Amino acid sequence: MKSKLPDRKLRRSFQHSLVPLAWCASVGVALGAPGSPAPVANASFSVSTNPAEPTEITVQGTVTDSKGEGLPGVNVILKGTSKGSTTDAQGRFRLKVPDQGAVLVFSFVGFTSQEVAVTNSESLAIKLEAQDKSLEEVVVVGYGTQSRATVTGAVGQIASQDLVRTPAVAATTALVGRIPGVTGRQGDARPGAGTSIQIRNMGTPLYVIDGIQSEEGQFNNLGLNDIETISVLKDASAAIYGMRAANGVILVTTKRGKLGKPVVNVNGYYGIQNFTQYPHPANAYQHQRGLVESEQNYAQIERRAARPVSDPVSGKVLTADELEKWRQGTEPGYKSYDYYDMVFRPNVPQYYLNGNISGASDNLSYYLSGSYLDQKALIEDNFFKRYNLQANLEAKLTPRLRIGTQIYGRAEFRHTAGVPGLDDYFNPFLSVFSMWPTEAPYANDNPLYVNQTHNINVNPATYKESITGYNDDDWRAGKLNIYGQYDFAFGLSVKATGSYNYTTNTFNGFEYTYNGYRYNPTAQTYDLVAGGGNQNPWREQRRRALIERTGQIQLNYNKQLGDHGLSATAVYERYDTDNRYNIVHTVPPNNTIPIQYFANQDYLFDEVVETARAGYVGRVAYNYKQKYLIEGLGRYDGSYLYRADSRFGFFPAVTAGYRVSEENFLKNSGVGRVLTELKLRGSYGVTGADAINPYEYLQGYNFGSGASIFNGSYVIGVRPRGLPITTLSWVRNKTTNVGVDFGLFGGKLAGTFDIFRRRREGLAGLDPNTVLPREVGYDLYRENRNSDETKGLEGGLTYSGVTSKGLTFSVGAHATLARRFDLGYSQTFSNSWDRYRNSYYSRWGDVGWGYQAVGQFQSEQQIADHKIDNDGQGNRTQLPGDIIYKDVNGDGVINYLDERPIGYIQGGNPLVTYALNTSLGYKNFTLNVDIVGAGMQTYQREYELLIPFQNNGTSPNYILEDRWHRADPYNPDSPWVPGKYPAIRRDAGGQANYNRRSDFWIKTVRYIRLRNVELAYNLPKPWLSKVGFSGVRVYVNATNLVTFSTLNDINIDPEITSTNGLGYPPQRLINTGFSVTF
Amino acid sequence: MKFHFKTLTLSGALLLGLATSCQKDFLERTPPSIILDAQLWNDTGLLTGLLANYYDRLPTHTTIYSNWAEYAAYDEAMWSGNGNGPNDRFTYGSGSWGNWDYGLIRDINLALENIDTQSTSLTSAQKDQFKAEFRFLRACMYFELGKRYGGVPLVTTQLIYNFDGNVTPLQVARSKETEVYDFVASELDAIKGTLGNSGSVTRANRYIAMALKCRAMLYAASIAKYNAQSGLNISTTGGEVGIPASLANSYYQKSLDAAKEVLTGPYSLYNGNPSNKGENFYEAITRKNANPEIIWAKDFLTAKDYRHYFAYDNIARGIREDNLGSSALSPILNLVEAYEYLDGTAGTLKTQNAAGTDYIYYDNLNGPFANKDARLYGTVIYPGTTFKGQDVQLQAGVKLWNAASNSYQTIEGGLASVYGGAAFPNGDNKLLTGSSGPQANQPEVSNSGFYLRKFIDSGAGTSSRGIRSDTWWVRFRLAEILLNASEAALELGQTADALTYVNRVRERAGFPANSLTTLNLARLQNERRVELAFEDHRLWDLKRWRIAHQVWNGNSSNPDAVAYVLFPYRVVRPGSAMDGKYVFDKRVSPRYRTPRNFQLFNYYTFIGNDIRNRNPLVVRNPFE
Repeated sequence: MKSKLPDRKLRRSFQHSLVPLAWCASVGVALGAPGSPAPVANASFSVSTNPAEPTEITVQGTVTDSKGEGLPGVNVILKGTSKGSTTDAQGRFRLKVPDQGAVLVFSFVGFTSQEVAVTNSESLAIKLEAQDKSLEEVVVVGYGTQSRATVTGAVGQIASQDLVRTPAVAATTALVGRIPGVTGRQGDARPGAGTSIQIRNMGTPLYVIDGIQSEEGQFNNLGLNDIETISVLKDASAAIYGMRAANGVILVTTKRGKLGKPVVNVNGYYGIQNFTQYPHPANAYQHQRGLVESEQNYAQIERRAARPVSDPVSGKVLTADELEKWRQGTEPGYKSYDYYDMVFRPNVPQYYLNGNISGASDNLSYYLSGSYLDQKALIEDNFFKRYNLQANLEAKLTPRLRIGTQIYGRAEFRHTAGVPGLDDYFNPFLSVFSMWPTEAPYANDNPLYVNQTHNINVNPATYKESITGYNDDDWRAGKLNIYGQYDFAFGLSVKATGSYNYTTNTFNGFEYTYNGYRYNPTAQTYDLVAGGGNQNPWREQRRRALIERTGQIQLNYNKQLGDHGLSATAVYERYDTDNRYNIVHTVPPNNTIPIQYFANQDYLFDEVVETARAGYVGRVAYNYKQKYLIEGLGRYDGSYLYRADSRFGFFPAVTAGYRVSEENFLKNSGVGRVLTELKLRGSYGVTGADAINPYEYLQGYNFGSGASIFNGSYVIGVRPRGLPITTLSWVRNKTTNVGVDFGLFGGKLAGTFDIFRRRREGLAGLDPNTVLPREVGYDLYRENRNSDETKGLEGGLTYSGVTSKGLTFSVGAHATLARRFDLGYSQTFSNSWDRYRNSYYSRWGDVGWGYQAVGQFQSEQQIADHKIDNDGQGNRTQLPGDIIYKDVNGDGVINYLDERPIGYIQGGNPLVTYALNTSLGYKNFTLNVDIVGAGMQTYQREYELLIPFQNNGTSPNYILEDRWHRADPYNPDSPWVPGKYPAIRRDAGGQANYNRRSDFWIKTVRYIRLRNVELAYNLPKPWLSKVGFSGVRVYVNATNLVTFSTLNDINIDPEITSTNGLGYPPQRLINTGFSVTF
Repeated sequence: MKFHFKTLTLSGALLLGLATSCQKDFLERTPPSIILDAQLWNDTGLLTGLLANYYDRLPTHTTIYSNWAEYAAYDEAMWSGNGNGPNDRFTYGSGSWGNWDYGLIRDINLALENIDTQSTSLTSAQKDQFKAEFRFLRACMYFELGKRYGGVPLVTTQLIYNFDGNVTPLQVARSKETEVYDFVASELDAIKGTLGNSGSVTRANRYIAMALKCRAMLYAASIAKYNAQSGLNISTTGGEVGIPASLANSYYQKSLDAAKEVLTGPYSLYNGNPSNKGENFYEAITRKNANPEIIWAKDFLTAKDYRHYFAYDNIARGIREDNLGSSALSPILNLVEAYEYLDGTAGTLKTQNAAGTDYIYYDNLNGPFANKDARLYGTVIYPGTTFKGQDVQLQAGVKLWNAASNSYQTIEGGLASVYGGAAFPNGDNKLLTGSSGPQANQPEVSNSGFYLRKFIDSGAGTSSRGIRSDTWWVRFRLAEILLNASEAALELGQTADALTYVNRVRERAGFPANSLTTLNLARLQNERRVELAFEDHRLWDLKRWRIAHQVWNGNSSNPDAVAYVLFPYRVVRPGSAMDGKYVFDKRVSPRYRTPRNFQLFNYYTFIGNDIRNRNPLVVRNPFE
């Protein structure tokens, strides 16, 4: 049910934590004329009393709230009459009533009404229960708002105070574990990074900020304190946003001034960060011992005597005596370097400060805010900073005409030491496992001289801005929304909005040359290594200018005719983007001059990308007595991606609700007193998705494809394009959702449960029945052929209330299961194995295949007796401790035919997520505890986490420690000692233990994480009022304090996506903060 | 009312603001880099761009700009970079070398047809020249397909599907292997007169066409002869694979004739640096200006950001100019020993005395390489040589004499390490291990004792990622044509001519005039191996001679199939005459554990299920 309420008045405060959960019974919301108070809807009257009886008695008493404080202004009415009174300032009342059968009704806005039969007792003590307000709550939905009671879609919502509970840098991170159906994974948590958020695992959602469709980056970098609410449209209710909304919509509303005098708020925090966990490299002894064992193991495999192993740094043969010296590590030259400690600093700060002022008079409301966030990296010289400005103004020019604006400004700075080659955050992590613990970062440990190590590129001594240079990746954006709205007297309002967003990204990189040195102990000199260090200077500037323009005209109509509520919305909306990108690269002649000169330029890149989309939106909603709710919506959507004659498509949706608890049979029954709210919801809708590349409808020729040098001159290539794609059209996303919302005991216990399915039809695929010979030289174009669905269920439950001792509590739990199922059929198979292995027909998506490990060889005898060719080489490369694979098809040899499904989705969001949110308040203290967890996700160990001495480096300590080995690395007849990992062999990436994707190395990730613990104290008001403050809150807070995970044994955070583990793990943040209001 | 009017005006203006930004069609956007037919076919500049794209797409197997890791898959080099790559290859897969690239053939056919129908402003001479060049490229493509698969479907017009669900008109059967080679020959003969591009080494002219024909015909001829002579007789009943032995001579003759036609052209063997035959050979391939030997090359140009990473990845470690890369390909001892001594003796390096009881002690690191075929120097950086004016330090370690045991102890250190200091208190503080290794197992340093010189750019900074290299890739040069001619003449019994051709090539390499007086195929095979090393001939040559399965037979006791390395050491034997001299260890590569294994099915790449499923007329290859 769509209501055009005076939303700014009703939108006051939202007091809920777990969004779509909490509501209960008792009250409906009147959606009548603006300004009328919500009447108590105790609709069943019994017309019974006979007022003719003249005898009267005087009743008096007190009305208090649950804490025992007197409530002034409570209506006290003799039931069935208009006779009554109100309570005074102390909550006292006095009333004359007939002496028999009189029933008094106590009612007060915000409290549940109470009826009390008058007895002879002289003084009544009435305690009114605060009413559950969640049903009155205004929920932001597509192009408008609705009251919670009448929402028929699957919509989750989170309010400001819950959002800022975790001190997140990016808004997506703040959403984790807050709303059922929303899954998250922070695969790389470097400073400034966001979290991959998906709604029901359907893919990246659409973000809509104050009504304007926006990119994820804009959402991530909003000032967290400037957000009033976030709504999540999970089902067909998202369809109103059209083609980009197929994966659901996240709606953001920023704060507005509230009626009253100016309120100034200053808040901030200071925290220290550490990694949740990250593996430590082997120490020098483990490393050297590993080298010796590796040779011993190879010698056994190759049936020869072990050769002496030289220390690759000194050249000395690693004899037993030498190894012992490394174990002791006390003699000069036998020091073990810990590159974990060298690369990562502990306890680095993250801090934040925000100030805002807001307020509103009758004609003007304002909200002005500025904030600053600074997050240092655990790697020196790397950091993220952000400034945010937000100004929201609205003026009432006439009683019916309003104009307003939202202005967003932000500047983000990502600064890193300019490590040559790859990503600046990758190399430091690589260093930890690439450096040998036996080599020094500095020549002779003298920090003036970078040691020319075996691979100086990963020597962390160079990761300093003063040595290696810098990269600055800066984003600046200014966005302006302007709107005007006119409200006609008969219920129609017209709103026009224009938005212009200008974003620039400048990347400024300057990577210096530097030298590497070796210490000559005899001459006691530091010798410059010719060609060492880095002699490859690099200077690059990139500029991106992105313009996003949106125009919207919106008509809204609301009418309540008796029991019939009607509302309608019509929108025309269009938006386009213009994205220009340039790169200029030079080879700088020195390390000091940052200005680029044409003479040094060797590269230029230029790109223009435009997009344009438009849509006509219509929605009609009807309700009868707020009991039967139905809503239909449609969108006629157009995209620049398609040919002129097929640009538009029509996509409808319908949602409906039935509030069973409004039925008298339930209301008046005993059940109705317990089950105070029960709503059944259902929705079905279609959205289009324009998943096609730009200009595929054009044939023609691509300019700039390939090139040749003809007779010394460069000639840019021109390449014929493939067949023009004319018939590939929209992917149709059909979303079905069935849900139930319920509240017990007036909302004390509230819950929601949904079953959903999003079926995508018409995913691009080739016609399996028409196969063109490869000799035609082009592919038949893709058609709308394949389909899949994402389905699952989600639910949540909250229990909240106040104990008699004044303890307020709220405990909420929710969980989501969402998984893709492939239905597609456009495939051809060469044989039945091909079908079994590669089919996408009617099976769960993202199944990981691999070998099944059934144990490890325990002895050489067992290897000799093993009848199955485990390594493809007659088991001659096998040693005790090696992984035994299951010969699933029983052919006596392990090969690809033995692969079976062994895992779930890898790298994506987990299929199961759950969370527990607890909030306790007592007196001036609040304690919040949030726990998140996930399951059905797979992590595969590769490279550094898998292969000993990967890439001529070292390994995590557990790989070189907890391994199968002989008791004496110099005695080939000494007994085997079991361990967790196979016997060490360096350069063995192709060995059967490592080159087969097996469930020895693949883990199903399950974890439970104490996401957030916060203890806050509100300074008592009497103290504050003396100094003119209206509120002061101080808190301590910890994020990611404890994690229980199936990856704990390898010290890998369960959210990391990088399979070699070389990703920036999430941080454990210990934090203290304040908020002052005056 | 007046105020009301103003508000209406305001809101009206807002609506208008939206409405007026309407263009003709809001959703119609112009692509920034797509050219339409009307523009292309009447603009010779853009048509040259079309050629630029087609030339760029010509398939290659192993070149300096793509797929160069495969150099280490054959017996010229091993892999010394990160990972183990080709060193761990147990067999060559049945799909190896496959490249069923009909996309380029379609694009060429499209151009041939559209230039006739859509080029209205071009003169017929212009059209003819473009068409000749398109046909040259197509002939080139069919030769590339033929040498991989044997006979393939000869598609010479666009196959256009009309969406009626019937694909049979599009199905073309495989031609015979002979037909493919005959098509290549006849096309090249037909267009050589109209190609133009006289004097160009980057766009096809008549001599380039004849060079291609010369090579193609030699392939056809040797397949015809040796498929039968080897007894393998790999063939299909329809002749899609296999060329009758009876056709050998006519193909040899065609090859010889084409070679002679090239020899009438403006080419000569490069001899710009006659005083240094080794440098001269290096320049013969890398030098771009005033190089009369080059017939056809794919060129690069750093100034236009058209360049490659070959020098970055393969420069000798000790003189690299970047902190990453280098050394990925190490030439192996097998190749090095294929280079003869200039006195005509076999190229086997002498490292031990005749009895095999002791080393031969050399005064210099380059001692064993004295008086070698100068092409070795031009191809390989061996111990004791320089590159870019810098020493490439190749010393694996020292051999420390142990008088008590009457033997040497081998000591190897880190790169550029000194035999002395804390680690070796009794050392002599001289070089232990060179800055360029070799080292047995470390990546990014030679694991074989050699580095590549051929193709490595000698320009400053070219081995850094910032600058990179623009050495060109030579597709045809005169030396190959001479060797082709020599082989064809030899097979045709014209031995005197054959000797003349091959001796010209050898003379440039430093051999005396008429250094060969007798000739057989084995001799020529070795000549091609050393002259054309790393120029993408070795694999194809061994295949067409039908000896690949013998040379690379997968047997770890076969010295051809296994990679050998040469590690130089400095002798530490104070008080002895041997002290400070150099000795050399030959050994099987520690990092290359798997013998090369070429199986019979590798002679013709498998067609594959996908291709055959799509076109049932395509028959399987032998063994498939």
